[in-house]
Amino acid sequence: MSPDGTIVATRVWKRFLADRPSGQLRDQLGQIHRRLRPRCRDWTWALRDVGLEIAPGESVGLIGSNGSGKSTLLKILTRVMNPYAGSVEVTGRVGALIEVRGGIHPELTGRENIYLYGSLLGLSRAHISSRFDRIVAFAELEPAVDRQVKFFSSGMQMRLGFAVAAFLESDVLLVDEVLAVGDASFQQRCLDRMRHVLDQGTTLVFVSHDLAVVEGTCSRGVWLDDGVVRADGPVREVLAAYRGAIEETAERVVDVEGVLTLVQAAVTHPQGGPPRSGEQLDVRLLVDSPESLNGKICVGVSQGTAAPIFLLKRPSVLGEGRTEVRCSISSLPLPGGRFYLWVGIFANRRDLLAWHPAAQFDVVGPELTPAPRGIVCLAPVHVGARWDFDRP
Amino acid sequence: MKPSVPPGPPPELRFKPRTNLAGAVRGVWRARQLVRTLAERELRARYKQAVLGFAWAIVTPVALMVAFSLFLNRFADVPTRGVPYPLFAYVGLLPWTFFSAALSNGGGSLLANSSLLNKVYCPREVFPLAGVVVAGVDGATALLALVGLFLLFGVGPTAEAVWVPVLLAVQVAFTVGITLVFSVSIVYLRDVRHALALVLQFGLFATPVAYGMEAVPERLRLVYSAVNPLAPVIDGYRRTVLFGQAPRWDLLAAGSLTAVVVLVGGYAYFKRLEGGLADVA
Repeated sequence: MSPDGTIVATRVWKRFLADRPSGQLRDQLGQIHRRLRPRCRDWTWALRDVGLEIAPGESVGLIGSNGSGKSTLLKILTRVMNPYAGSVEVTGRVGALIEVRGGIHPELTGRENIYLYGSLLGLSRAHISSRFDRIVAFAELEPAVDRQVKFFSSGMQMRLGFAVAAFLESDVLLVDEVLAVGDASFQQRCLDRMRHVLDQGTTLVFVSHDLAVVEGTCSRGVWLDDGVVRADGPVREVLAAYRGAIEETAERVVDVEGVLTLVQAAVTHPQGGPPRSGEQLDVRLLVDSPESLNGKICVGVSQGTAAPIFLLKRPSVLGEGRTEVRCSISSLPLPGGRFYLWVGIFANRRDLLAWHPAAQFDVVGPELTPAPRGIVCLAPVHVGARWDFDRP
Repeated sequence: MKPSVPPGPPPELRFKPRTNLAGAVRGVWRARQLVRTLAERELRARYKQAVLGFAWAIVTPVALMVAFSLFLNRFADVPTRGVPYPLFAYVGLLPWTFFSAALSNGGGSLLANSSLLNKVYCPREVFPLAGVVVAGVDGATALLALVGLFLLFGVGPTAEAVWVPVLLAVQVAFTVGITLVFSVSIVYLRDVRHALALVLQFGLFATPVAYGMEAVPERLRLVYSAVNPLAPVIDGYRRTVLFGQAPRWDLLAAGSLTAVVVLVGGYAYFKRLEGGLADVA
């Protein structure tokens, strides 16, 4: 028997019917003759051969694009769903926050819901009572706790759900993309709480599309792609691989629209070679234009997503034919790693050149300062600094 | 670089859910507080905006009793062995209302709680069981009207009423079994929900609620009791509480046998199908 808080998933497979039968008799009758020829049924695999071993106290961030099987995997870990093949073993008590209003009944008051939700998660009444005040305080529900939940705002409902799950003191906490609803200060307190729970030795599996939060909370990353574990390892490496893949998809998907054509985009160090942290960086663009146009040239650097770390913008006139645009950054504020150059040219009412990734480049320099767990750095920026300590 | 994965799992990997009834019963026992909380939730939510509140639990069987007394008894003179007909009918209506309420609450419970089923793990039986508990609370409330009827007609239960717990056990076993079967079937096949209303209407007439066991020819009673365990149970209630007789043990045995088969078989059926609930709900 493994210690409490261990998750072992071995070769897990899960499939769904692509055309789900509606559960009506006439559809089911239609199924019968199809069932005689099983090959006719359209199964799609949601998870394929997923293997995962998580030790007690580990914090794992589950990432991947929509429909990659993250939520399905969480449901299988909570035993809500059975896998089609393979085996899953989760020891200890599992607290799950799969959806904001998962266990909340709108007709009941906040107080009644806390007890209901607690018992759903396997807690005794005495146990809930002893934590009741802390749950209410954490969720900031003091004035509303005896009000029916249907009169709560969606943020209050979300806080209620998170507070109950977080104060459970379970051995395993599974959290699916739920923090998005809360305001910034509540999100921060949720992250604090998750860090606290981790310090107590709880195993955390966290699903989020907010990569910065995953990086700030989890030490290990698991990237699911189309139901397959594409990468599993230290969160920084997995996120880098994932961001790179987003970039590739973006490059493939974005059919660059606009009257202008970007012929070439290059990012270099003035003395040649790769760019370096804190030193000058040169960006060179070659743009073809069919006519003389006014536009704002935007150049941004991102880690893969369309949201850049920083952005440079300049209004300009592009003459007919080819124009070479050069832009120099005097001191590059990026740590070592892989980055992407995004380019777009915009006029008042239309995109002359759509926002798209134009080039990728590797920066040579020091590693990004790792933030303490629970603190989320919005942008990976490298800032040179000098520290002094004096004893007056 | 995408890792290569075979197109399907090897057959020996197939996940086999363990259906161990003894373990499942232990699981439900551990979740008994959850059953209580869910039942409480049902009751609270149901009566939150209703003025009459718990009185509704009494109104339903009493209204049926009044209807039976006014119409049925007038046209078809039901033999009641000297017991006032309203009392005779109400003693049949109490178990029937419990059965019917349990089946409609519990039967639809998995579907009604599908949002919960998809998010939180718990033994799934708790939802239909909570429905049965709610019906039980309503039934206990409706007992008050029985006390009122006793006072009204100046009679009281006979000493033979000590057998009531035995009858109750058979009744609950049968009710729970049927509720489990319907609750899980409804999720897979939504038509069952419509069929359920029909079954309940039909059952009210196929069970000796408005009439007595005397309406059934003696040679058919054993088969009748085996098919519908509620018949010997209701007959037993009347014999023990109103007539001062012991239950018909032969009929009750036949009914109990069916009830146990339905309970065990229904539970096994439920456990077999519950694994796929999250896939279809």
